Amino acid sequence: MSSKRSISPISPSAAKAAVAQERSSRPAYSLSMQGLYLQLDGQDILTDMTLQLPPGITALIGPSGAGKSSLLRCMNRLHEHWTGDIDICGISIRDMDADTLRRQAGLIGQKPAVFPCSIRENVIFGLPRQQRNSVSDAAIHKTLTQAALWQEASDRLHADARTLSIGQQQRLFLARALILNPSFLMLDEPTSALDPRSRDIIERSLKKIGRHIPLLWVTHDLEQAKRISEHVIFICDGKLIEQADADSFFARPAAIESREFLRWNVCDCD
Amino acid sequence: MAKFPWMKFAILAVALPALTLPVACFSYIVWQGLPSLNWQIFSGQGMSGFGLENGLYGQLTGSLLLMLGAAAIAAPVAIGTALFSRLYLNNRLRTHIITLLHLMQGIPPIVYGLCGLVVFVHILHWGISLLAGMLILAIIIMPVLVLNSLHALERIPLEHTEAASSLGLTDAQLIYRVWLPEAWPAMLTGLLLGMARALSETAPILFTATVFSGVIWPESLFEPVTSLQTHIFYLAQEGANAQVVGIAWGAATLLIGLILLFSSSALLLRRMDKRQRIGP
Repeated sequence: MSSKRSISPISPSAAKAAVAQERSSRPAYSLSMQGLYLQLDGQDILTDMTLQLPPGITALIGPSGAGKSSLLRCMNRLHEHWTGDIDICGISIRDMDADTLRRQAGLIGQKPAVFPCSIRENVIFGLPRQQRNSVSDAAIHKTLTQAALWQEASDRLHADARTLSIGQQQRLFLARALILNPSFLMLDEPTSALDPRSRDIIERSLKKIGRHIPLLWVTHDLEQAKRISEHVIFICDGKLIEQADADSFFARPAAIESREFLRWNVCDCD
Repeated sequence: MAKFPWMKFAILAVALPALTLPVACFSYIVWQGLPSLNWQIFSGQGMSGFGLENGLYGQLTGSLLLMLGAAAIAAPVAIGTALFSRLYLNNRLRTHIITLLHLMQGIPPIVYGLCGLVVFVHILHWGISLLAGMLILAIIIMPVLVLNSLHALERIPLEHTEAASSLGLTDAQLIYRVWLPEAWPAMLTGLLLGMARALSETAPILFTATVFSGVIWPESLFEPVTSLQTHIFYLAQEGANAQVVGIAWGAATLLIGLILLFSSSALLLRRMDKRQRIGP
């Protein structure tokens, strides 16, 4: 293909204005936590965690055992034994029904967990029974398109979901969360078990989703964090070390620990 | 191993009795019992004395009733216990329960029989009855059913449970939409093994549920029954009477056949479950 497309130049200020306009058009959604402590088996996992989740895609980074996954599990109350406050739009999540909260705050894990049923049944798995019976093909189509799986699965919606590849299963996992129309998504290293092609597909679809709902994306891969995130939260040893815009975090990290982590991928917080 | 070529033969020599003795016992029982298994011993036609007038029909139904009753009582309790323990108990408490269940498995069945005699027969005044036998057998097979159900639930990948919870499924939905559909083949396998165990127990029902003869079909749960297990025990004591001992061998063959049927069904289910887990 030798055809050339003419691209009209955009000035940096116009690009910034466009990004700012897109960000301001996002639905208002606030998630904050104050003084979050979590102990598991007598061990401090999270200590005095206070932060505010900005809109867009936020990368949650930190060394292994920093408490990233535990933080996500506190936010949708899979872990219940924490102290402090986590508020969604000003309402404490302790005052919310746990099942409703979990539908609002979707969690995508590291390994794709498909249930032993068809692709279609997997997509609608989390819907209440009445909705499962009446869900339209259009809704399935929309959700699978959002998860970038429609093209590959459209002709075998009634096939066993376990016949999909791992990358496709992970996208199915994403579709299952998306059909619930979540208010924000938490992603716990969703691409760590995938090949680069599947990783790119998921990154692209999640970037699109991130325009509409906030995403909190746990990743070990700093390159991925640079690619996908608008904001970065860096935690180490259960403590919040730094929260910043992705550009400034990667260009000029404020904390010594952040600089150390970006340079050596290790952090000595003790 | 190449340094010690005799090691292979030494291990074989140690293992050989474990392999050959059960096969030899089984073959001998079948060899002795098969000739006795005919229509006459089921119907009891032309037979008299030693409780043989009605054939083995009463004993067969008695054994099956005891086994099915025990399974019907034990299965829901065991599955409920396993689900509760998986859902609400912490690892430490669950470990204590598992240890307790293993201990319960080690208690001799005659001790359970004695407890049944004291509690059900004497204190509750049920007398020697089908219900007392069912309950005692249910208590005996309960540990193996709970352990098996727990094992079946623990084999469900944690990601499935977490994914289901993340979708906002309630505990009840998690159980009937994720856990039970994934764990039922293994649970059923355990139930069939438990039923085989109930069918093979003699001592606990000897003085709680069975009589020597005279019952073909109990009229109520508070009636005693006859059973294949205890019948073999009674007939074997008549060692001098060749016909009676022959019938005891026949009853033993029938009993072993039933136990093998349940055990092999369990094995088949386990294989199917394994294949299902691996996926098409």
